[in-house]
Amino acid sequence: MSNNKWIKELKIGSKPDEWEVKKLLNDFGINTPPGVLLKPDDLFKPDDLSPPFVVKVCDSKILHKSDIGGVRLKVGKNIHTVIDEMRSEFEGCNLLIEEMVPYSGIEFIIGALIDPTFGPALMVGAGGILTELYKDVNFRLIPFTVNEAHRMLRELTIADVLEGYRGSDMDISSLADLLVSVGDLVVELGDDFNQLDINPVVFCDNNWLALDGMAILNS
Amino acid sequence: MSIQEDLKPLFYPETVAVIGASNTPGKIGHIILKVLKSSVKKLYPVNPRENEILGLKVYNRIEDLPENISMAVITISAVHAVEAVRSCAQKGVKIAVIVSGGFGETGEKGLLLEDELRTIHKEYGIRLMGPNSLGIFLPETGLDTIFVEHGDKALSGGGGIAFITQSGSVGTEALGIASNTGYGMRAFIGLGNKVDLTETDFLEYFSRDNDTNCLAFYSESIDDGKIFLENAREVSKKKAIIILKAGRTEAGQSAVSSHTGKLAGSDNVVNGAFRQYGIQRAFDEEEICDASKTLSMLPVPRSNRVAVITAAGGYGVMCTDYIEQKDARIKLHLADFSDETNKRLKNINLPFASIHNPVDITASAGDDIYVETLDAVLKDEGVDLVICLTFFTPPAITKDLVKKISDKALEYEKPVITFAQYGPFTNKYLKEFYDRGMVGFSSVYRTVRAARFLVERNHILNIFGEENE
Repeated sequence: MSNNKWIKELKIGSKPDEWEVKKLLNDFGINTPPGVLLKPDDLFKPDDLSPPFVVKVCDSKILHKSDIGGVRLKVGKNIHTVIDEMRSEFEGCNLLIEEMVPYSGIEFIIGALIDPTFGPALMVGAGGILTELYKDVNFRLIPFTVNEAHRMLRELTIADVLEGYRGSDMDISSLADLLVSVGDLVVELGDDFNQLDINPVVFCDNNWLALDGMAILNS
Repeated sequence: MSIQEDLKPLFYPETVAVIGASNTPGKIGHIILKVLKSSVKKLYPVNPRENEILGLKVYNRIEDLPENISMAVITISAVHAVEAVRSCAQKGVKIAVIVSGGFGETGEKGLLLEDELRTIHKEYGIRLMGPNSLGIFLPETGLDTIFVEHGDKALSGGGGIAFITQSGSVGTEALGIASNTGYGMRAFIGLGNKVDLTETDFLEYFSRDNDTNCLAFYSESIDDGKIFLENAREVSKKKAIIILKAGRTEAGQSAVSSHTGKLAGSDNVVNGAFRQYGIQRAFDEEEICDASKTLSMLPVPRSNRVAVITAAGGYGVMCTDYIEQKDARIKLHLADFSDETNKRLKNINLPFASIHNPVDITASAGDDIYVETLDAVLKDEGVDLVICLTFFTPPAITKDLVKKISDKALEYEKPVITFAQYGPFTNKYLKEFYDRGMVGFSSVYRTVRAARFLVERNHILNIFGEENE
């Protein structure tokens, strides 16, 4: 098993929850919205974050949390009521409370896997819940150069939004850097790594943010 | 030992033994011996029951063979083939080409036989090609172990393409068709089930072979995938590599729980990896032949600006549509001519001709207008590549047009791709273009696609250049 500190601290070795995945992303310089983890008995202190909030059930056993009411958006003064409701619905689960970031423009997905022939590979493309419908994605083997990251972005059908399409202000260079960082993360996890989905990745206040993440490790 | 020395007994064998040589016409052991007779001086048939086959003295046992056999071609059934390979190894044979089938492709038992072959290779150092391999065809010397019809006469002229295929029939059938309009092959290699020699070995061999300028692979599985790609990237700096990768690999059962895993299932990883490592991808047997022919014969354009010449308006319109169509491989751009070119085109052409790109010289034009127009657009600095659609039915066109266009095109460093349709004579005219050093196709679609291979190649070379800076 790996010496990686992050892996050693996981609750479930092979399937970290969203909070844990986001900690990992932060370790590699990938930004996530400000947030706090609320264990079943923790009290939420509103001073820690600014509304509006997103409240999510945070449990690696739940795969599609939004399908089962596990995500509540635009939560404001009613935060304590929402927390109570979520706790009764998902008994014993942790909750993740984050600031809801105001972003516009297209959502990206960044993912990685181990290809049986070629080894670790990184994917980027049109993200969000329709990502498998659009299929506008592109792969490169890890590691790759930042120039290669630019090329894989420019090959996407949605590439124009990274180059000012209809006033879009999304920054391609920092997204390319982000791809390299995800590649570094996969290299660091080495043989423990199996799969990763970061979806969606959005552009907000001159910053790329990972709003959700799912990782699978080799147990 | 370098791969060049290692594979010398395969490419330039001095002595060849055919294990399972037969007196019965139509049998594989008969066909192979017969074909090899014309290229190999010291040829030894091995058969336990015969004394003489095709006028050659037969050896009844492998043990009886003379020393220093370069290559043994194994044509007998799988179980016996393994024993024969062992005897060859003990005899000191350098390389065995195992033509026999009945190995891994048939199931569990066959896989075990392949394991035995691997053990023999490790124990004795004998190099193995196959099993289930068609072996080798080398136009340079006429060396040929392929036992099926493969247009070998038409392909015997040779050329710069090394064609390395995991499936024998994909190679022979596709090349047979390609040879109708001309295809210049350096070597054909049938890999088969790859117990020892793999695509990575031949990648290295042909990268060092001065007579090879383009490598084409048909692959269902790539052994040592990452190593192959790393090596391919180095080779691609000098020689074009095209791979027809068939058989979609699933990302594995566990991977379907992520979006990434599901999206990778449709072999998107292969697409990305090939682009990253400077490899061009083909998707069917016609495309790999077209691509390798084009990349082997034509110079690489500086950019993607295409000029089109036609004598038939409809074909010019179709060609323009294909050029401007969005394509995942690479973008093409219809060239804008300079004022000087426009002026010259106007002078050369008939008053009712359309001199804007695509240039329609009309069916009233003769050979000279064709050639002068070609010269004008080739001279234009804003043109990187020319597609010349040729027609032979217009009354003022003569059969000399092929020669005249070829001569003009070859005066320039820019690639000219031709197209010809002339009913039952189509292939004959395309072959004549080929014999004059030109690349031509019988459909507008394939012609424009060939232009994309060239522009993609330029893109790859540009990336190598950028990464070096």
